[in-house]
Amino acid sequence: MNCDKTRHDLYIYIDGEATVLRRWRVRRHLRRCPPCEDGFVFEEHLKVRVRQGCREEIPRELVERLRTFLQGHAEDGM
Amino acid sequence: MAERADFEDDVMEFAPQLYAAALRMTRNPSDAEDVLQESLLKAYRGYHTFVTGTNLKAWLYRILTNTFINKYRKQSRRPHEVELGDLEDFYLFKRLGDEGSAAARSAEDEALDRFVDEDIKAAVESLPENFRISVLLADVEGFSYKEIAEIMGVPIGTVMSRLHRGRKALQQALWQFVEEREASGS
Repeated sequence: MNCDKTRHDLYIYIDGEATVLRRWRVRRHLRRCPPCEDGFVFEEHLKVRVRQGCREEIPRELVERLRTFLQGHAEDGM
Repeated sequence: MAERADFEDDVMEFAPQLYAAALRMTRNPSDAEDVLQESLLKAYRGYHTFVTGTNLKAWLYRILTNTFINKYRKQSRRPHEVELGDLEDFYLFKRLGDEGSAAARSAEDEALDRFVDEDIKAAVESLPENFRISVLLADVEGFSYKEIAEIMGVPIGTVMSRLHRGRKALQQALWQFVEEREASGS
């Protein structure tokens, strides 16, 4: 596979959605092509960075408010 | 079928991550709380229809996504599908360092570390709704394309195209932060 075809499979590859055959083809190209390999590694790291960057703490008071809210509706017998 | 009595135990453990997703969707804490509360109530009311042993997390995210869309889409006058221009491959990677140089990989990884969490959040929140939700569900929540398609009620091909364009737009937003910082000399 050439660079264009490999890069076309970038997201299905890093998302674990590529078929076994396509994964194998991508890996074979990446072993031979450092620019593509570096790009793929970067994209994988960026995906992890996005996940980490979006972490949030839920306020304890909010959890309490939600529990009270749900219990209130449970008692309505709905 | 799931028992309503177990709802709190089963579902409240997802509250922190549902809240994080609601924050990214609505972009502010008070709307996020409204969306989460309404979603939990809907989930509670429909819990007896949830089939035990199937994907509870995906079921909850479908309720959250629909609640957000129904509640807030009416307010926005933006078209549903905003056109995002297509960008070249490895857009951000190419800009953060000299592609091909021996030290490039470590340099770009360090560059990634220089983005603070607020940059990442702002970049995600800058995306148009459908792209934002797709990126959130894939990158932050780790759902498969099939799960995202079911959550958003669209074909898998649409999910892939939204993810593709959404991620590129995200890279563009991050690069804009770098440029703005350089321009202001910090």
